[in-house]
Amino acid sequence: MDSMRTASARMELLAAIDAQFDVENRVDKDGSVWVSVGKDRLFDLLGFAKNAGFEHCSSISVTDWPEDEVFELTYHLWSYRDKILLTVKSQIDRREPIVTSAIPLWGPSAQIHERELHELFGVRFEGNPDLAPLFLENWEGPPPFRKDFDWREFVRKEFYDEGNPREQGYWG
Amino acid sequence: MRATPVNRVTGADGITEGCRTEDGFDLYFGPVHPGSGNFGVKLTVRGEEVVAARADPGYLHRGFEKLMEYRTPMQNSVLSDRLCILESLNWNLVHAEAVDRLHDTEIPDRAKYIRVIMAELSRIQSHIIWYGVLSKALGFDTGFKVAFGYRDYVLDLFEFVTGGRVYPAGYICPGGVRRDFPKGTKERIRELLTKMEKMSREFEAYDNATIRTRVKGIGVLALDDAIRLGATGPVLRASGLAADVRRDAPYEVYDKLDFEIPVHEEGDAYARSIIQRREIEESIKIIRQALEQLPAEELPPVKPKAAGKIPEGEVYVRNEIARGEAGVYMKSVGESHPYRCKIRGPDFLHMIPVLEHLLVGAEVADVPAIYWSLNICPADMDR
Repeated sequence: MDSMRTASARMELLAAIDAQFDVENRVDKDGSVWVSVGKDRLFDLLGFAKNAGFEHCSSISVTDWPEDEVFELTYHLWSYRDKILLTVKSQIDRREPIVTSAIPLWGPSAQIHERELHELFGVRFEGNPDLAPLFLENWEGPPPFRKDFDWREFVRKEFYDEGNPREQGYWG
Repeated sequence: MRATPVNRVTGADGITEGCRTEDGFDLYFGPVHPGSGNFGVKLTVRGEEVVAARADPGYLHRGFEKLMEYRTPMQNSVLSDRLCILESLNWNLVHAEAVDRLHDTEIPDRAKYIRVIMAELSRIQSHIIWYGVLSKALGFDTGFKVAFGYRDYVLDLFEFVTGGRVYPAGYICPGGVRRDFPKGTKERIRELLTKMEKMSREFEAYDNATIRTRVKGIGVLALDDAIRLGATGPVLRASGLAADVRRDAPYEVYDKLDFEIPVHEEGDAYARSIIQRREIEESIKIIRQALEQLPAEELPPVKPKAAGKIPEGEVYVRNEIARGEAGVYMKSVGESHPYRCKIRGPDFLHMIPVLEHLLVGAEVADVPAIYWSLNICPADMDR
């Protein structure tokens, strides 16, 4: 599917990651590379990726695992030069979700993703100067995209009247 | 800019109290500006110059990422329509691909071609809107009306094939498409493409000196800034980088189709408007080829795997939609609904960092031209 150039660049990338970092990695059927790294080496690995040509920070995402008390951070990076998709994953403590900001590497494109995740998951990105809420106004509840926030319950309480016979369906 | 608002407390210089800041005064562009969409930018202006811009999103936040965690993929494919009102079929495709990849199912060839044809028609239709609203922003109402007139022909076809004009109700769904092309669709698409070519020529003819003075050299985005700010799609290509997911990481049947990727170096609003017109032409080319190659055998109906579970795994799918790079990160733990579904919309980057960057230093009169030259869509920014 992919060109010779992409295939050899991927081999080099995997070899370089193996040499410098002690991490798990896998290559998906579509050729994308997935790497899991500990929180302490996360920023080093991201810096390495930026230097290896991953100029485009496509997306940053958080997955909430309340049972394990962790947040899983996912950085999706794309190299315009080698045409490889690299996903870097790292787990951080859910009770104290603080991680170094990726702004020094990707600038505003990382900043805006981090700002969103701070609002929706409550992850603090150290070094990000602007973590103002994007979507919610006057919101005082817990970060709403966390798994333990029951939005159905919230909507019922906030917008439906238990005493109103017409709205009984929502209180079943 | 010094007009006194009626029935407001104004200072001696005629500026409304409360809008004045140390740097100048605040000017709200949207969310009630005609055509701004459900989105606003707070500008700080000094005289005619914009000295600061702060995007004000959130008017269309529906929390799709959270909603999708409670629904099955077939239900989510209907939700994915709403990710961008202006190009719902493209968003259908990104979502459907993510689920297909988790299921590791190979979908029938004919369905792949139908997906590409519908996605490209959706791109044309979206670029027509782009042309229309950009014309409107420049005060060129003819362009706006002509564009929206032609767009209706595409919507007629969407209605014929999917049943919905704007929202196809998840026509492109996990496992293929909801139903095969009805009889006579190929002929109707060919007729439509002839009309689109005529439209293309009309758009070219409108590109005159008056229009150019309003967009040339306005909102210049340098290439390194474009990459730093996360621009993708036509905005990035207008700044000089030939990056297109359809070519760089082909999905569906794009590797079997021959098309060009228009690129411009200038990075201004005019370059973006040229890219927009060229891409309509390229999409017409793609659809013509796809119609030629479309396998003849009939498509079996897709059986929704209602009770089925999504196999454990995670994927990140990127697609090239009309506005740029769309991404879906889907994580499944083997339940009937995804555990996490992160949606990456191109306008999240275009409407906050890129727009704020371009507006600073611009003149107030150029704000609409810059704003609509980015092909904005508040829906996929807020999600």
